[in-house]
Amino acid sequence: MPSAAMTVAAGLATGPGSRVTRFAKSTAASVTPVRPGKTHALSPLDNAMERHTVHVLLYLRAAPGLDREQLKESLSEALSLYPAMTGRLTRGEGSEGAGAASADAAPAHRGWVVKCNDAGVRIVDARAAVTLDEWLATATGDEEMELLYYEPMGPEPYIWSPFYVQLTEFADKSYALGLSCTHIHNDPTAAALFFHAWAAAHRRTTSPYPPFLHAPALAVSPTSPPPPPPLLAEKASAPSPASTDAAAMSSATFHFPASAVRALLSSLEPGTTPFAALAALFWLRITGAADGERELTLALDFRKRMYAPLPLGYYGSSVHFTRARADLASGLPAVAAALDRHVAGVPEEELWRALEWLHVRRQQPQEGDAAAPFQMYGPELTCAALDHVLTYGAEFVAGVPPARVSCRVGGAAGEGLVLVLPAAEGGEARDVVVTLPAEATARICRDAEVLRHGAKVVFGAKAGKEE
Amino acid sequence: MSMGSSAQLRRLKPLYQLVVNNILAIVAVPLAAAVLLRAASLGPEEILARALALRPAHMFLCAFLPAAATVLYLMLRPRAVYLVDYACFRTNPNCRVPFATFLEHSRVWPGFDERSVRFMTRLLERSGLGEETCLPYAQHYIPPSRDLESSRAEAELVIFSAIDDLLAKTGVSPQDIDILVVNCSLFAPTPSFTDMIMHRYGLRKDVRNVHLAGMGCSAGLISVELARNLLQVAPRGARALVVSTETITPNYYMGKERAMLLPNCLFRMGGAAALLSTDGAGARFRLAHVVRTLRGASDSAYHCVYQEEDDRGNVGINLSKDLMNIAGDALKANITAMGPLVLPASEQLLFALSFIARKVLNNRIKPYIPDFRTAFEHFCIHAGGRAVIDELQRSLTLSDEQVEASRMTLHRFGNTSSSSLWYELAYIEAKGRMRRGDRVWMIGFGSGFKCNSAAWECIRPAANADGPWANCIHRYPVHIPDVLKH
Repeated sequence: MPSAAMTVAAGLATGPGSRVTRFAKSTAASVTPVRPGKTHALSPLDNAMERHTVHVLLYLRAAPGLDREQLKESLSEALSLYPAMTGRLTRGEGSEGAGAASADAAPAHRGWVVKCNDAGVRIVDARAAVTLDEWLATATGDEEMELLYYEPMGPEPYIWSPFYVQLTEFADKSYALGLSCTHIHNDPTAAALFFHAWAAAHRRTTSPYPPFLHAPALAVSPTSPPPPPPLLAEKASAPSPASTDAAAMSSATFHFPASAVRALLSSLEPGTTPFAALAALFWLRITGAADGERELTLALDFRKRMYAPLPLGYYGSSVHFTRARADLASGLPAVAAALDRHVAGVPEEELWRALEWLHVRRQQPQEGDAAAPFQMYGPELTCAALDHVLTYGAEFVAGVPPARVSCRVGGAAGEGLVLVLPAAEGGEARDVVVTLPAEATARICRDAEVLRHGAKVVFGAKAGKEE
Repeated sequence: MSMGSSAQLRRLKPLYQLVVNNILAIVAVPLAAAVLLRAASLGPEEILARALALRPAHMFLCAFLPAAATVLYLMLRPRAVYLVDYACFRTNPNCRVPFATFLEHSRVWPGFDERSVRFMTRLLERSGLGEETCLPYAQHYIPPSRDLESSRAEAELVIFSAIDDLLAKTGVSPQDIDILVVNCSLFAPTPSFTDMIMHRYGLRKDVRNVHLAGMGCSAGLISVELARNLLQVAPRGARALVVSTETITPNYYMGKERAMLLPNCLFRMGGAAALLSTDGAGARFRLAHVVRTLRGASDSAYHCVYQEEDDRGNVGINLSKDLMNIAGDALKANITAMGPLVLPASEQLLFALSFIARKVLNNRIKPYIPDFRTAFEHFCIHAGGRAVIDELQRSLTLSDEQVEASRMTLHRFGNTSSSSLWYELAYIEAKGRMRRGDRVWMIGFGSGFKCNSAAWECIRPAANADGPWANCIHRYPVHIPDVLKH
């Protein structure tokens, strides 16, 4: 193991007083070599997600087959199925319109391409000083981020790994597996399905959701420039938030047992989905005392919403942003119903329009930052429906699902992001992860309405952050 | 006219070889026929009369002297040493180091500068290594760890799995081992590897164990020769376990000298264990000859592969620029010593005639290079690097198929130092090319400068392709481009 001095040099250190120590960084290669010259093209939506990162964290209880060496071996085997994960990002070929454009303007237009050069993913080894149960009982939402490791892209993308896996061992030999990656490669659905592949490799079997590495599925070639979709156009022209905003965000996780969700649903209109109910609840409580028509941005996975649906294993981002309106004064049942109606009524035409616009925007030669990627999640309050994601299906030991799964999306500074995830219990139970400005998080953790509906704060806000 | 005569000479060559190689038979048969005819012409009474006329003392000597000579010869000749079986360390697929990973690590770690990284990139592309070579776990870290504990872990992993494989193949129990010889050049902790093996396998109290350190990449054959010598004085049927490996964890060079970066790019994880015995029952090969040539007396050969510190204090192995020339000279010296032992009489006669002609008549006559393909069916050339294999192919005039084992071993396993010869032998057997009676020539090169070679004769080829090549032999041979662009 490297010495302590070298660890610091490698930039792995966690803050002082932290209960998690990262002690080594290495690279895991796949078991089978990749055919030379292979590339993976990225869709226009993938390219647009450059500002964001995806983090999925699995907690596994101690078990005989679970140790660091074996997990790394099964990771290498799983990577053989994902040649795009072990590749590196490079700029693609110039577009037709670029011509003799200056060197400054050209790179942003050409988009990213994954060169599958077999370089591998980074692994960080870490140790936590507490047992898993102690951690689940006492950790805050921000402390959970110490179980994840990510390095932003530096000046040389060709030697920068887009994927980072942190293996943290708890005092009782339980493990936390943290996968962090850039949203260019994967959205939370795809990242969670990678854990399925890893778990299946660990059990010496195969996952029922193999990766679908075919970005041309979302390729578009519009004959004429499409009208810009209002939501994305607004995001594109919004000024980028000051960097201090990102540091002031904090996260918390709420757990809603199935019984609580059922009770909540019974008080709403029949046919309301748990997502709509919880999204409406948090929308009302975060926005506070407000009335009149308000808008909420929803992030929906459209793999299965298309006429020709994509397989669940589609490798890449398939997130669609849409704006729902509701009158906040009309009460929780009406707001939830409005959200449901909106989600059900999103036409497929809308998401193809967004794709075409993103594609054309990137191709057109424009001055300055006009073609640069913009923030997709936020800055307005956004709610992402992730409760279809099969997080608890990744069984590293046969028949034993993970103790808990957490998820984050990075780069969503602004008013905040609410993620609705499935819970370990299954059924209607849900976990809700909120990332809000620090004082809003502290407030919502103590909110009486939220707690009345049966929420249990699992990873709370940092103590003493009230202002 | 000269074309016609050389074509005629080529046609005559097989006849010439047949005559010279069987000269004893060709001379003895007519002689015996002549004696029989003479005896027939004399008649039996005449022969009996002459025989009775002989003095008893002469008759006694006539019978006793040849018998005594035969017995003395049988007792004093060296015991034949057999290779019962051998096993190579099977690399773990998740120790694999693709080019991109290796180069990325060298870029990410600030200790290497841009020039060094470009140099290593060019080296790797032209090295003849493939994408499946393996480095120990410690060298997958950023930065690679070179501490004692990781080095021991690598050594234990390689040695123990090779020995486990070997004991399973031969069915020999650790208690039956009488001699243990281990060679590992660049890592020699205390207690030694032999003690480590004793501890793990519970060998007997009276095992003769020796660890050879610092003997370079040709130490595998030095260990074989040492085991052979120890077997001459051990009880009959004794067994010697020979383990060859190189621990690369502590030897990663972290500086900027280009001559010292080469080992980083070429050396990979590997090891082999072989069981030798004077008991030939169930053995697979017989050791015919071992020839060792040392060139350390000359300055340039001595400094050819030299471990030293660079100006910043980083320890590495400096490879001099005239490595190929020195290797060529060492090889010539070695084959001059090996030739008389293994070449058939026809080749030796031609070589002697050409030697005399050069000395007596005219120095401008080209020296005759004996055709070693008449002496050996298979060649295992140390996979030290692409240049070494090219040089040997040229100087021994070998065909591509004969150096295929070396090239493919370099591609799949990299330069595993002293154990590479065993991987090459495993390749030939996995390909099913080994037959009973085939002769194998193993040539090793190493620091010093040493050139060691061993000649083996096959008694029983391998029954199946089980071994380090088991799951990839069907993909070989591969075409290795001059420059591998990735």
